[in-house]
Amino acid sequence: MTWSWIGSNGPLIWQLTRENMYLGIVPALIGLVIALPIGIMAARWRWFYPPTLTAINVIYAIPSLALFIALIPAFGLTDTNVVIALTVFSLCVIMPNVVTGVRSVPDNVRQAATAMGYGPLRRLVTVELPLAAPVIIGGLRVGVVSGISLASVGQLIGVSSLGYLFIDGLQRSFPTEIYVGLVLIIVLALACDLILVAFRRAVTPWAVRT
Amino acid sequence: MITFERVTKRYADGTLAVDALDLEVPAGQTMVLVGPSGCGKTTSLRMINRLIEPSEGRILLDGKDVRQQDPSRLRRGIGYVIQQAGLFPHRTVQDNIATVPVLNGWRRARARSRARELLALVGLDASLATRYPHQLSGGQQQRVGVARALAADPPVLLMDEPFSAVDPVVRTALQDQLLALQADLHKTIVLVTHDIEEAIRLGDQVALFRPHGTVAQSGAPERLLAVPADDYVAGFVGFDRGIRRLSFFGTGDLPLEAAPVIDAAATVADARAATQATGRPWLLVTADGQPAGWISAQRLAGLDLAAPLASVPADPFGHAFTAGTDTLRAALDAAVLSPAGLGIAVDDGGQVLGVASFDQIRAAIAASAADADSVAAARAAADQAEQATPAAAEVPQGSEVPQASA
Repeated sequence: MTWSWIGSNGPLIWQLTRENMYLGIVPALIGLVIALPIGIMAARWRWFYPPTLTAINVIYAIPSLALFIALIPAFGLTDTNVVIALTVFSLCVIMPNVVTGVRSVPDNVRQAATAMGYGPLRRLVTVELPLAAPVIIGGLRVGVVSGISLASVGQLIGVSSLGYLFIDGLQRSFPTEIYVGLVLIIVLALACDLILVAFRRAVTPWAVRT
Repeated sequence: MITFERVTKRYADGTLAVDALDLEVPAGQTMVLVGPSGCGKTTSLRMINRLIEPSEGRILLDGKDVRQQDPSRLRRGIGYVIQQAGLFPHRTVQDNIATVPVLNGWRRARARSRARELLALVGLDASLATRYPHQLSGGQQQRVGVARALAADPPVLLMDEPFSAVDPVVRTALQDQLLALQADLHKTIVLVTHDIEEAIRLGDQVALFRPHGTVAQSGAPERLLAVPADDYVAGFVGFDRGIRRLSFFGTGDLPLEAAPVIDAAATVADARAATQATGRPWLLVTADGQPAGWISAQRLAGLDLAAPLASVPADPFGHAFTAGTDTLRAALDAAVLSPAGLGIAVDDGGQVLGVASFDQIRAAIAASAADADSVAAARAAADQAEQATPAAAEVPQGSEVPQASA
């Protein structure tokens, strides 16, 4: 471990961390936006869920590197390539949670909302989604954390992230770089996860603390 | 007023839930739909606010077919209370109660102040307003459920097994509160329950359902107990319907005897004289006018004649009934519990008014039952006349109009 390397490469490490954070968070948020309507439909129409879930599992089984390569003809060796691939993966993680969350709304609560005079859309937005929020945010946490971790693989097609430190460290037989990259990815993932937990607590003050 | 006209609900799998139901819920009254599970009572209730749509027939709310109205708008004018309250877990108590006013476009501040009024109305402390439902007991949640249903002051209230998920003590308290609220508010209430006791207690009218959605008998609860239409009804209302019917009969006309009552300051000699005068072997001893216990003639034998009765050990008296307020059921129960077979009548302040014997109670029961029967017979005759001659009834009315204007 060469501690001085860290001090002399501060700007590089900071830039790679920011890039990795971007590649972890943005796809998860886009994935959430896409997962919501699909999940809501799957929760509403029973027949729609099994095929959707199968499709998602198949996609999720694709190795990330294979997907990055598969997207090269369309998007080249760009950030967009990695963002799209990671969006697909986070969508796979978040969508089942949307379904579970919406389905976990107690029947009598849904029925009460209808009987009070809520229309279907208003009921969805003001009753069902808020009640599903803790489970959906749970899915988002997994999506963000796995996105931050998978982003480093993008380095293999030249998209910059903390993955750079692994490849560079390996090529130069310089383990310090590898350790720094590893620690930073874990710290980054933990920090994002804690922020999401805090966010969930803030938006669901009503939830029973367990 | 809510009217069911030949309402049938048949599900896609062919199950007949409700079969050509005709039912009328008079405005300002409580109609209880009672029956075993699968009898269509809940389906019938939910067809009123269109949570379920009927297959045939129609339901009129104040003369208007509910299916001609926008469902959301219709529902905002009908309060709805369900089992386990169904409160919104993510909203505070006050925001739960304010639900329908907010849907109706009230400002939040105004809706919340209305919510606080209702919290007081259902007997909950204002400090609960900002709590979340999971922080409340089951009984409190159910009260909030009632408050939420009443928030927009709807004329109609639908209650689907509202009190079945709470313990018996809380249930009785909630029932009492509903009766007290209804005495003030005069809502048109349709309440579904499987508990015949609850039906009899809460209903002005009771409709007892058979399996597969037909009504076996409907009418005043006292009538169901007095003259069950058939074995099914008799079986459902229970073997002790005779006793339960007594809770509809008042004690205002029950004759009371003052002779077997003696003050604790009197002596054993006074007591012996009293037992000889009444010819009854028991005396009720009172202290400051309130019942203290029963003393038998046997126990008086061999005692010092000058001794005060207060020094003589007495048998416990069970409980007394409040004359005029309590029913004959309470009077009979008091007589059964008394070793003397005499029910102790007290006034509102607990002062002894006298005692009533089994014979007197039996006579009062017979008189009340005869009254109830003749009132019911007169009403049935009037209904029949109204149905049989609607055209004939119009003729004299028509001919009176010019006379009145002349």
